[in-house]
Amino acid sequence: MLAAAFALGLSGCRASGEAGSAADAKGQASQSQSRDSVVVVMGPSSEPEAGFDPVYGWGAGEHVHEPLIQSTLTVTTADLKIGYDLAVEMETSGDGLIWTVKLRDDVKFSDGEPLTAKDVAFTYNMLRDSSSVNDFTMLKEARAVDETTVEFELKRPYSIWPYTMAITGIIPEHAYGPDYGSHPIGSGRYLLRQWDKGQQVILESNPDYYGEAPKMKKVTILFMDEDAAYAAALSGQVDLVYTSAAFSEQTVSGFSLFSCETVDNRGFNLPAAPAGETDENGVRLGNDFTADETVRRAINLAIDREEMIGHVLNGHGTAAYSVCDKMPWYNPAAELSCDPGQAAALLEQAGWLAGADGIREKNGVRAAFRLLYPAGDSVRQALCEDTANQLAGVGIDVTVEGVGWDTAYDQAQSTPLMWGWGAHTPMELYNIYHTKPGGKYAEYSPYANAGVDAWMDAALSSGSLEESYELWRKAQWDGKTGITQAGEIPWIWLVNIDHLYWVKDGLKVAKQKLHPHGHGWTIVNNVDQWTWE
Amino acid sequence: MRETQKRGGRRLAMLLLLAFTVVFLGAVVWLGDAWQGTALATDFTRKNLSPCLTYPFGTDWMGRDMFARTVAGLSMSIRIGLLTACISAGIAFLMGLMAAVMGRFADGMIGILIDLVLGIPHMLLLILISFACGRGFFGVVAGVSLTHWASLARLLRGEVLQLKESQYIKIAERLGKGRLYVAFWHMAPNLLAQFVTGLVLLFPHAILHEASITFLGFGLSPEQPAVGNILSESMQYLVTGKWWLALFPGLLLVLVVLLFHYIGQAACRLIDPGSTHE
Repeated sequence: MLAAAFALGLSGCRASGEAGSAADAKGQASQSQSRDSVVVVMGPSSEPEAGFDPVYGWGAGEHVHEPLIQSTLTVTTADLKIGYDLAVEMETSGDGLIWTVKLRDDVKFSDGEPLTAKDVAFTYNMLRDSSSVNDFTMLKEARAVDETTVEFELKRPYSIWPYTMAITGIIPEHAYGPDYGSHPIGSGRYLLRQWDKGQQVILESNPDYYGEAPKMKKVTILFMDEDAAYAAALSGQVDLVYTSAAFSEQTVSGFSLFSCETVDNRGFNLPAAPAGETDENGVRLGNDFTADETVRRAINLAIDREEMIGHVLNGHGTAAYSVCDKMPWYNPAAELSCDPGQAAALLEQAGWLAGADGIREKNGVRAAFRLLYPAGDSVRQALCEDTANQLAGVGIDVTVEGVGWDTAYDQAQSTPLMWGWGAHTPMELYNIYHTKPGGKYAEYSPYANAGVDAWMDAALSSGSLEESYELWRKAQWDGKTGITQAGEIPWIWLVNIDHLYWVKDGLKVAKQKLHPHGHGWTIVNNVDQWTWE
Repeated sequence: MRETQKRGGRRLAMLLLLAFTVVFLGAVVWLGDAWQGTALATDFTRKNLSPCLTYPFGTDWMGRDMFARTVAGLSMSIRIGLLTACISAGIAFLMGLMAAVMGRFADGMIGILIDLVLGIPHMLLLILISFACGRGFFGVVAGVSLTHWASLARLLRGEVLQLKESQYIKIAERLGKGRLYVAFWHMAPNLLAQFVTGLVLLFPHAILHEASITFLGFGLSPEQPAVGNILSESMQYLVTGKWWLALFPGLLLVLVVLLFHYIGQAACRLIDPGSTHE
């Protein structure tokens, strides 16, 4: 009887609790002007499916950002080099296989337990064994040497290990379990106070945080579609709202448009091998037209990036020449200016001559290709259409076609696809341009260059980060070979898309690092430093 | 005399309506086909224009001429509608006849199949089949034509069961005519009126379902001019006040569906022996 009453009371409590939280959300929205709280709107895909668990991709993966609830060993600085968070000192052995990291000793998890080297080792070994999002194949083992020293033993040299450390939130060994994702315990700037799946996340500042206390005490994050987000800005009930170039010409009273420069690039691959081969799964590789190096160079020359930014992004973007523009490992040799005349001349010289319909031909091969984009992505679709229009000017016929991601990866092996990349780690260069281990070509588009591979391998096994930057640059262009216009140019980069937000007047958003791919959590990386004036 | 003239006039009116709608729809199909290239062409220098004399339906975010795009989309819809409605009706016809001539077991199986298809929510089955067939044109055609035959098949089966009991069929069987001969020679002509009306009334269904499945993203790929695509794209821009992107294509879709409905009615009046003299 008592038990029944208790159960009833409990369920009754939960019901009223839910009703309360809905009212709560409304209340917060209306009084969001108060000095130390902020309401941020992100897209529905930003909501972490598996919760706030670094093991299942929180903070890492395709859309990297700082985990906020957890601390990391290192952080990326404003110029995308490496700074320290939990770490105070870092050392590599001569062969690059052992990394020793000293930790600060004053850090506590939000449940009061101290954060020790054991937790760090636990986190990394856990990620190595079960992370599906991050690449931890290079890690052999993480060991706690003493309370504040952790040692990573790698299987192969990996000089950019600090960039992996910058996105790996440390989880507590004593409090990690299956429901960690929805009830995370960390040592970061914020605590997760409430998560209503499909609607909102409420973060509250961590009173025991070891660093500078967050100025924003409460951060509410709502997940909405683009048009709903715009409507939310119009209603004035939120403080910072993501938006896209399609809405950039609107005006919202009480809000101004805030534009963040990014390395969130868009570009397409040009299979650099002739058609005919298939891989071990029977996927067709190569494309007879784009296999011609001159063709790839001409395409790169014929693209007018500035015009494209005006057409497709309403001016909210920057020209992209590589997958890593403005990163410390970027080689500016990739830059070039648009010259369709030169492009046409190159094609003429290589024997691509205009046919009856104005489209070039050579030995029966038509200067034509299909350009794919992921169906539903209107920006990539528009970039494809504009590329087609621009290339028509030099006698290349481009047919634009939408595809689903289920077949896009396979099709891209023989057909150019409009991709989006951009990460805070040089590993992306490796993933795109380096020959697949044990394979003949790179992973996403057929291309192989032993010279480029060698520079990247050297970069990974180099002794220091500073040194590796130079080697990554050489992998792009070393004066003889590379992946730039003067080199073999297997990918064409078009634009970096500015991330746009409506920001309520009076909200001071702290200076942003170059945003990586993904228009989501990155903006709140430094929400602790935002202020109202 | 005056009475018959009036009735004759109604018949004439029906014929005129029929002729007008057929010509109108024919023109849409023909124009849409001719404008296929125009409908795909993008020109970023003329994006987001509201309706004007050059672009009566305005332009979208990539500067595509929405008038050409809408007409091409409707043309595509009508052609897919015709194709799928014909396949569907063909399946229904065969199923109905088979139920009658292939014995009790086949009849039972077909009954179950009809119930099965009618029992699953229509849109769900459509999405499932289209997705399994790889989406795109083929997916849409397979999806729509494999889901629309059931109710017509049930109707035809009922007719056939009725016919089976009629004297002339029984006499034909006694005379030693084969089941197939009876089915196609004696039964089929009697099913024609229901079949033709059913076929025509399938068109609007097929067209609307083609549009909906494409709208939901399981049909034609987004660069294709299709009414479903146009409407789903317009949703994104409605909130910024680009009303023309949804209004005109939507109205034209309704008009086309209504016209098909009228054709069905007219055909029914003209073929049905009961109203021949109206």
